[in-house]
Amino acid sequence: MNSVKSTRSLIALLIMLAMLLFVSGCSKSDDDEVADDNSGGGDSAPATVKYTPSGNEGQINGTVTLNGTAPEAKKISMDADPACAANNPNPIVEDVVAKDGKLQNVFVYVKDGKTADGKSIAGLSFDTPAEAKVLDQKGCHYVPHVLGIQIKQKLTVTNSDPTTHNVHPGPAKNPEWNQSQGPGAPPIEKTFDRSEVLIPVKCNQHPWMKSYIGVLSHPFYAVTGADGKFEIKGLPPGTYTIVAWQGKYPEKSQSVTVGVKEVKTQDFAFDASGATASIEGGSLKMMPAIEFPMPMKH
Amino acid sequence: MAETPADADALVKKEPEAVPAKDPIVSTSTSGILLVSALLLMAVLAWALYDEAYGQRPWKDMQRTFVARETSYLKRLKRNGNQTEKEVKESPEYQQLASDAQTAKEAAEPERKEIEEKVRVIDQQLAAITDDFQNKRGKITVANYKIETASASAKDKLRREVEQERQEQIKIKMPADDGSGRTEEQKFTYPELETKYLQLKDDKAQLLAHQADVLKNYNDLAKKRDEYLKDHITGLTDDQITKLIERNNHFDYTLRQINVTDANIVDRCETCHLGIREPLTITPATLKLRGKKPDEDARAFVSHPSKELLQIHDPEKFGCSSCHGGNGRATTDVVKAHGLNPFWLHPLHERDNMEAGCQQCHSNDRVLDFAPNLTLGKDLFQQRGCVGCHRFEGYDRETDGLSNARQTIKQLEEQMTTNDRESRQAVAASATVTDDAEAQKLLARAEKLKVDNSQIAARIEQLNTQSRYLMQDQKKVGPNLKDVRLKLRKEWIPVWLQNPQAFRPGTKMPTFWYLNEGHELSKKYGDKADQERKAIAAYLWQSAFEGQVSKQDAGNASHGEELFKTKGCMACHSIGDADNQVGGTFAANLQRVGEKANFEYIVRWIYNPRERWSPYCPKEKRDLTREDYEKNNKPYVFDTGMHSKCPNDGAELQVQNMTVMPNFRLSQEDARDLATYLFSLSSGHTSYPDASYMDDPNLKNQGFTLIKQYGCAGCHEIKGFEEEQRIGKELTAEGSTPIERLDFALMTQPAEQGLDPLTLKKTDSSGKKVSEWYNHKGFFEHKLTDPSIYDRGKEKDWKDHLRMPQPYLTPEWKTALTTFLLGSVGPEGANVPASMFYNPKDRGRDIQDGWWIIKKYNCMGCHTVQVGQKSVLSTLPQFQTQDGKEQLPPALTTEGARVDPNWLLRFLTDPSLSGGGSSSGDLTAPGHTGMSGANGSSSPQPSAAERMLAGESGASGNQPRSRANANNADFQPQPGANHNGVRLYLKPRMPTFNFSPNELRTLVRFFLAVSSQQEPYIKEQLEPLTDQERNLAREIFGSRSAPCLKCHLTGNPEHDKSASAPNFLMASERLKPGWTFRWLLDPQRVIPGTAMPSDLFKKDGERWVFNSTEQFKSAENYHGDEAQLLTRYILQLTPAEQARLASSSPSAPSGRTQTGDNQNTTAASSTHHARRNHEKQSRFKHQASARAPSPASESQRARDPAIIAMVRHLSLNLAP
Repeated sequence: MNSVKSTRSLIALLIMLAMLLFVSGCSKSDDDEVADDNSGGGDSAPATVKYTPSGNEGQINGTVTLNGTAPEAKKISMDADPACAANNPNPIVEDVVAKDGKLQNVFVYVKDGKTADGKSIAGLSFDTPAEAKVLDQKGCHYVPHVLGIQIKQKLTVTNSDPTTHNVHPGPAKNPEWNQSQGPGAPPIEKTFDRSEVLIPVKCNQHPWMKSYIGVLSHPFYAVTGADGKFEIKGLPPGTYTIVAWQGKYPEKSQSVTVGVKEVKTQDFAFDASGATASIEGGSLKMMPAIEFPMPMKH
Repeated sequence: MAETPADADALVKKEPEAVPAKDPIVSTSTSGILLVSALLLMAVLAWALYDEAYGQRPWKDMQRTFVARETSYLKRLKRNGNQTEKEVKESPEYQQLASDAQTAKEAAEPERKEIEEKVRVIDQQLAAITDDFQNKRGKITVANYKIETASASAKDKLRREVEQERQEQIKIKMPADDGSGRTEEQKFTYPELETKYLQLKDDKAQLLAHQADVLKNYNDLAKKRDEYLKDHITGLTDDQITKLIERNNHFDYTLRQINVTDANIVDRCETCHLGIREPLTITPATLKLRGKKPDEDARAFVSHPSKELLQIHDPEKFGCSSCHGGNGRATTDVVKAHGLNPFWLHPLHERDNMEAGCQQCHSNDRVLDFAPNLTLGKDLFQQRGCVGCHRFEGYDRETDGLSNARQTIKQLEEQMTTNDRESRQAVAASATVTDDAEAQKLLARAEKLKVDNSQIAARIEQLNTQSRYLMQDQKKVGPNLKDVRLKLRKEWIPVWLQNPQAFRPGTKMPTFWYLNEGHELSKKYGDKADQERKAIAAYLWQSAFEGQVSKQDAGNASHGEELFKTKGCMACHSIGDADNQVGGTFAANLQRVGEKANFEYIVRWIYNPRERWSPYCPKEKRDLTREDYEKNNKPYVFDTGMHSKCPNDGAELQVQNMTVMPNFRLSQEDARDLATYLFSLSSGHTSYPDASYMDDPNLKNQGFTLIKQYGCAGCHEIKGFEEEQRIGKELTAEGSTPIERLDFALMTQPAEQGLDPLTLKKTDSSGKKVSEWYNHKGFFEHKLTDPSIYDRGKEKDWKDHLRMPQPYLTPEWKTALTTFLLGSVGPEGANVPASMFYNPKDRGRDIQDGWWIIKKYNCMGCHTVQVGQKSVLSTLPQFQTQDGKEQLPPALTTEGARVDPNWLLRFLTDPSLSGGGSSSGDLTAPGHTGMSGANGSSSPQPSAAERMLAGESGASGNQPRSRANANNADFQPQPGANHNGVRLYLKPRMPTFNFSPNELRTLVRFFLAVSSQQEPYIKEQLEPLTDQERNLAREIFGSRSAPCLKCHLTGNPEHDKSASAPNFLMASERLKPGWTFRWLLDPQRVIPGTAMPSDLFKKDGERWVFNSTEQFKSAENYHGDEAQLLTRYILQLTPAEQARLASSSPSAPSGRTQTGDNQNTTAASSTHHARRNHEKQSRFKHQASARAPSPASESQRARDPAIIAMVRHLSLNLAP
């Protein structure tokens, strides 16, 4: 009888256990939910951190020079529009403007890098300057030839000429526009929302008119003056890649570390005999003959 | 149960017999069994309860998880202040709108209150009289009824009673009009009461209407304010969030089911996929657990990625499984619901092949919006030549069209015979009947049948013409192999056959393992591959045309390079070696063309690729020779125009090369330069092994058999194979082939176990994990990767092996083709009834028909046809600069709305617009020149003007035409050479495609349909300009603010050098007024990025005025729309008017051409142009007659070429 009893109790036990398991199994999901409750939702994307000046900012100064003889400045024929010549008796092409080996119109900017406390410069946000940048059309030239601007900063385009221009930037990442501006017309006001270096600007009626706008998320850029000098101020201590863009020659890049309140000097030299920058050639991937069509209404 | 021994002893004294048999009732117990059973029962009960509540309903847990996660997400959104809404509300614009609305509200307030008060009083008064009025009315109605039913005698009495009732005075406590609440007692008879009642009602309605007026301003502003809010917040509003949380708090945990009765769809997918139609956008990241990667649940709860798609395919009407596959009814587990269990016919489409679901209903759409991958698959099937071996319904448009047409013609001819007979019988019968009416009836019937026949004859004529062009429209994917002797280096052919990918990576020519003795499969057969290759090469060589292309000198390679990179060659062709290919993949990579081809042939080909060496007669089934023509006393000329018939039997000939490559209208020098450039790309004369065996006649027969077996003629024209059928399996419904009928052969097991077929391991050769692939997707993908895979390990005879060669396909292409095949299930294999299939009709059909042509000729290589689509050219490095971008061919997204369809037809026929081609019907292609250059052709000689035009060569700046050189035999003249028809300033050239009338019609209809234009097009009659209007338009055009003529061509060569926009003189023929008006207002909205600036006009009230600070004299007292005015001015511009403008405009340069000079090409060409146009216009008579006669204005004069010439001459002569 003993064995019988033990068998019985064993079975009973097993069943009890099994039921217990069921019960516990049933209640398990409820536990999960509680755990879920406060934790739903995803982490939001890392927001940009507002940069507040600490007073330790440094500065980068430098001169951009051109080794070798600068190409002879080509004269532009403005016969097509007599109004142009009136304002600009001696128009020359501005792709290389050099005097005594000093290069003008070079866009020097912080491409990327990290501050001393490890923050990426791209992850910082800076106050949008209240004052607008001005791009003037004078003597059928864009003034300045190269312009730096911060994202969301206002760009004012004015026309000082007695002729009509159209302002036509060709951005890759910002929306494109092309606006006519007659003599005496009110200024065109625009902003760029994404950083892009550099956006070419042209006037379709005066094909020689070219300007370049460098749009950055931060204020650390400068355009060299006639003396080839530039100054990038207010730079938080850190290590950065500084790029000098000239347009005709391949761009130059340097890594620069700026210490607390340090004024660093970083010169750039372009080579007049060197290869000219060109987007042609290079290894380009095979282009598909077949394009993905976009929705079309019918 | 056994007793113990001790118990037995105690009972031993009794007689053993006396011992009663053990009583089972007392001695045994079933309690154990019962207990067990009871417990089991309990357990089963518990299990059943559990299963009922949870086991069968796993989705309940899913729903709980969803609700918990979404609620917490929503709460967080709310807690975080739903940034956007707050921001928008704080923005100055919103504040302004809000305060405007508030002001308006306040302004309206006094009046609104007054009205409200009046209405209140009226309501009181109404309340006071309504009951009495209605009582009375009831009584009178009853009384009237009584009169109606009463006997005649009683009527009068009753009438009197009613009258009494009507005149009875009713006392009413009427509230005072001033609303003071006082009441005064008034007395009304019924008629008075009725009047009062109606009047009060009327007053109230008027007041309410007035109130709406008063509040209109406020309501409008409030609407504006709310719309601003709606426009500027991207997410949900606080209200919406609150509502969603509320819903979740009382969430209905239940099965969610879509039931589409007609289609027999029952889908319960949304029981678990709860986020699909949520108003907020849920991505996996939205509902993942904090600090963790998105889990399965988070991925399952996402909202549908395309709300637009769901709008078109409302789930309530389409369900889910109809597109996605899977088992919509299953709710017990994921595998079943997704239909991934064995033998479920429609498993869920994998993410990569999602668009396969579109194909089952949309197999008739050539290009399908929202399904780029599927469309790519459809493109590849055609472009990579799959269609050469595999039939797929819809792809053989020309061949099918041709056989359909021929069949229809046969039927119609039979019908005509029958009609004729019946008609004769009817006439005969009419003579015999006696009844006149009957005779007339019979005669009428005979007449009808005759006219019917004339209609049928017209139809047959149409079909005949159509089929003639359908033959011309048939193209081959590969080159014509009848030309190999003319074109190729002999020794190269076997090298190419062995491994085409090795010579030209990425080529469409697939690799045939049985011609490549290096291939694993062919190794065990010794040198068999080598022999076969030799035999095939020998057949091709010996069957090809004999002859010699006329000798050509080398040209200027650097000019050739410039042409190659700018003319548009690279929209289809690429250059660069294997890893550095730049250009399109539509046609061959040309890097090594110099290693294989004859220079002369390539020059001839570039000059005019359509020019065939010798015509083919499908009736005689052979290539014709010069003798065939001479025999019949006909000149040896063949073209698509007047010389397309066989001299022997009149059958339509194949007179063109069956290539889609168009004619770029290059001069002979340019063709030479281009060929020279291409030949300079490769190392030149590589040496190849001896191939003298190719002349061995014994090999030829063997080659013939092999070519037949391997289906080479699917893609190539080969002598003796012109009528060859396809060798592959039809794939129209391949996706619905039952899995057991897909022959995995010895790969079945690896497929089921998820082993790689090559390594036979769980990872492939590159170390990537392999999953089970015993399904359609796995079969197709592996077949496409290595077509001989299912032959692995099989013992077969050489010729029984799978014949499919290995195509070059990138991984994306493989996925696209697999998607296409998976979705191609046919009506039998679809999981929805065929009634749900999409059959494009009317405009939709025009669009799809057009896509076939657009894809066939790769129009999208140069043009943007759909918004957002990038052409191949636009991705090339030379078109990346800002100036480069402006050299891109025009976007065609609004072409149908932009241009006159008749003009478009003309332009597509001859893009040079110089009269090279002509109206539909006599398309001429330069014929065959023979070898000597002796021009025996009667093709139209170019006129002097045409020559001049060709010599002018606007933008290309090439060398003078026709150098005298004894060695360089001249080709046929090139009509419209070196000339763009509209955009003379563009370097890329719109080539002449020699579209057949069939294709021209389809293309024009396509553009019209895409832009929702109606056809036939009836040209809008423009109001002629008044003097004031003309003066104003002139002033605007000539002002400093309107530099139109700075960029637009004027016909003055000096000026046109820097021009970058079409000539206004073309506008009247070319443009539609509505489009021109929209274009003037804001070109950037029509074609973003165009060189034409916006902001030329500004709004002044309801009209558009020219945006300028200048004052125009004629603008005084002009109140019309100035943009409309300029549209009319431009569309009615005459050469004289333009010349006048050019001379007065400060924006147009000086530098005018010399006067009265015979070398004035502009005058010559434009005169010539005008004459041509005139001819064309008279040809397009139907169109001209559709227009109303125009008033005698300058536009009338513009039509007269003589006057144009005269005016032009005058204006040029008189110019200072």
